[in-house]
Amino acid sequence: MAEVHKQMKRPGIQRSMFSMAKTTPTDLVRSKLSTTEIQSRALSYLSDDLLQNIPDDDNNYSLFQGFQASFPELSEDGKRHRRRVSRGRKMIEEQPHAPDSPQHLHKLKKERASFLHELEMLGVRKNMASSEIREIDNKIANLAGMRKIILDRLAGLEQEEALLEHDIIDMEGHIEDAQMLVDEAESIAAELTPTKDDEDDMVTDEDADEFMSKSVYEKIPSANSTPARPKRHKTIRRKSMPILHEHFEPGTAIREIKAHTDQITGLDFDMPFGTMVTSAMDDQVKVWDLNAGRCIGLLEGHTASVRALQVEDNILATGGRDATIRLWDLSKAHYDPQGTYEEDEDGLAFENKDDQPVDPPAGSMADCPLYSLESHVDEVTALHFRGDVLVSGSADKTLRHWDLNKGRCVQTLDVMWAAAQASQSLGSGDGSWRSTSRSSSASADFVGAIQVFETALACGTADGMVRLWDLRSGQVHRSLVGHTGPVTCLQFDDMHLVTGSLDRSVRIWDLRTGSIFDAYAYDHPVTSMNFDDRRIVCAAQEDVVKVYDKLESRQWECGAGITQAEENKTPAIVEHVRIQDGYMVEGRQDGIVGVWTC
Amino acid sequence: MTALPHAVDAETPLKPDELQVLRSQYEKEGDMVGVQTKFNYAWGLVKSNSRNDQQTGVQLLSEIFRVSPERRRECLYYLALGNYKLGNYGEARRYNDLLLEKEPMNMQSADLRRLIDDKVAKEGLMGVAIISGVAIAAGVVGGILFRGRRR
Repeated sequence: MAEVHKQMKRPGIQRSMFSMAKTTPTDLVRSKLSTTEIQSRALSYLSDDLLQNIPDDDNNYSLFQGFQASFPELSEDGKRHRRRVSRGRKMIEEQPHAPDSPQHLHKLKKERASFLHELEMLGVRKNMASSEIREIDNKIANLAGMRKIILDRLAGLEQEEALLEHDIIDMEGHIEDAQMLVDEAESIAAELTPTKDDEDDMVTDEDADEFMSKSVYEKIPSANSTPARPKRHKTIRRKSMPILHEHFEPGTAIREIKAHTDQITGLDFDMPFGTMVTSAMDDQVKVWDLNAGRCIGLLEGHTASVRALQVEDNILATGGRDATIRLWDLSKAHYDPQGTYEEDEDGLAFENKDDQPVDPPAGSMADCPLYSLESHVDEVTALHFRGDVLVSGSADKTLRHWDLNKGRCVQTLDVMWAAAQASQSLGSGDGSWRSTSRSSSASADFVGAIQVFETALACGTADGMVRLWDLRSGQVHRSLVGHTGPVTCLQFDDMHLVTGSLDRSVRIWDLRTGSIFDAYAYDHPVTSMNFDDRRIVCAAQEDVVKVYDKLESRQWECGAGITQAEENKTPAIVEHVRIQDGYMVEGRQDGIVGVWTC
Repeated sequence: MTALPHAVDAETPLKPDELQVLRSQYEKEGDMVGVQTKFNYAWGLVKSNSRNDQQTGVQLLSEIFRVSPERRRECLYYLALGNYKLGNYGEARRYNDLLLEKEPMNMQSADLRRLIDDKVAKEGLMGVAIISGVAIAAGVVGGILFRGRRR
């Protein structure tokens, strides 16, 4: 401060002498020689363009006022003011008397001034807060706009990706066919005289499209007819992972498919925007392209409705009322996904929820059936497979363990016998078959749910028990007691086992200790449950899907019951639900399948 | 209450813990930092005695200038003041003159111009003195050498 004052006193002669000089020599030297100086100057340099563009300010307060107001203790003025206020207040309290002295009047005036000052400060701070809010609002609006643009871009990219992928698949098919023809030609040529070799090759190449008929084609299935996974399986599978749905608001409808005319009894899909299979009371099993919302075809073979099904990659296993389990290879379907995109002029797969599925060409799935497993003597109510191991649960009160390589039943697990064994060896009623108190159990499936992982098998039964089996010994090694109604659904990952039951509750068990980790209940019996890494979704006889967000420990609902509430429509009750990576599919009693982001 | 601080205000540094308050506030808001918070911190830095801090402060001010056009006019003054404190009189003059052009009646800005002129004059004199001193010395040495050569 002293320095500044000294400066002010300097004679004007010097000033005039050097005023033509823009700056001082030290400044010049510094700006040319020191690297850090140059750097920081470059960073803080403002171009003339920017300086040209200075709008008139209409701010309620200056930044400096804002500074003073937010940190009154930091500025000289504020410090004085604080002190004054506190002292003034004290004085009022200490000297309430002598109201007639001029001193008192003076003090009061001072007091008023300080209050006014404080009021002014508060005004500034208020302005600051409101303008800050406005600023944030602007930022949010900006960001929302940006998000929308990028979301659109993502949608476009995904669409392009899908198209390209189909092209690749097509091309792969052509290559394979061409390869086959070349091989064929070579083998023929080898039998013929070697002189005709060149000619033959040329002919087959040219006639590639025409020639890939019967005689060659018949060889493909024979090469792949073994139950072991054939090489061609990749064809239907998508190479890229659609991620668009992850960026939608949770609870957004992606599409709605009028899949069946009767209640959905089973559904599963391989991946978001992949292939979905549905089955219904109308005894039909349909395969869908979720990306286009189009029916790929009907699977014919079961003589009664399918109760349980699972899709893994391109293998589909279905188990039905007719006591058989059938395996299908979905990659053998004759389906041209290309055709879909010509209909979707607007490009976004999400925007045409209303378009009705086109009827698939008849016989499109003729090559799909692999084989059927027929050993159960009553309806198959649950099945699950992983790798080459398939397990099924049936109303004949047994579980069967199948080897998909051989296509044979490896062992049969008798639930009643195991229950009896357990009760004997444990010497308590712990593992024994219990009849639940619920009357509804009569209508419930004996085996409600089943899941296998290598040699570990979990099954939930109508007595409310969840049994963990060891497939090597064929014995129950643990029973989880807790549900008071039939278990209808079950799923485990590496940490937890989640079960849903007609007793309305969902229980989350710790797989290691076998103890309850968490549990919650809904208003109605839980008929279907599925979880991904974040959400547990349940169908609990309502027109919405119940979602439990594990990360946020939050319960919410998603589904047609909410989106259609405004239109005064009451959608049918959700019967089955599946989720994968936030992509949820639910099937209802009226045969409609809804796809949602979750 | 004045809308702009006087140049004197920039010469009184904050206490380290006071500056720390501003800094932590600034860092807490991260990428989405508000203009006011940014300015508070920048102003605290400009007030500091450390040249490094002052440079950072000026950088922050120029960021505010770039990002929020509605604050540009007043930012000119702070930029001029910061550059003045840094001794970058050329820049300081550039900003300040622009502000004076827009607001000829701006007291603080007029004061700042005077201060800059003073500083330039003083250091300019000193510079002349130094340069002339060096020149004389060089002349003397050169003369001696020259004479030595001739001899």
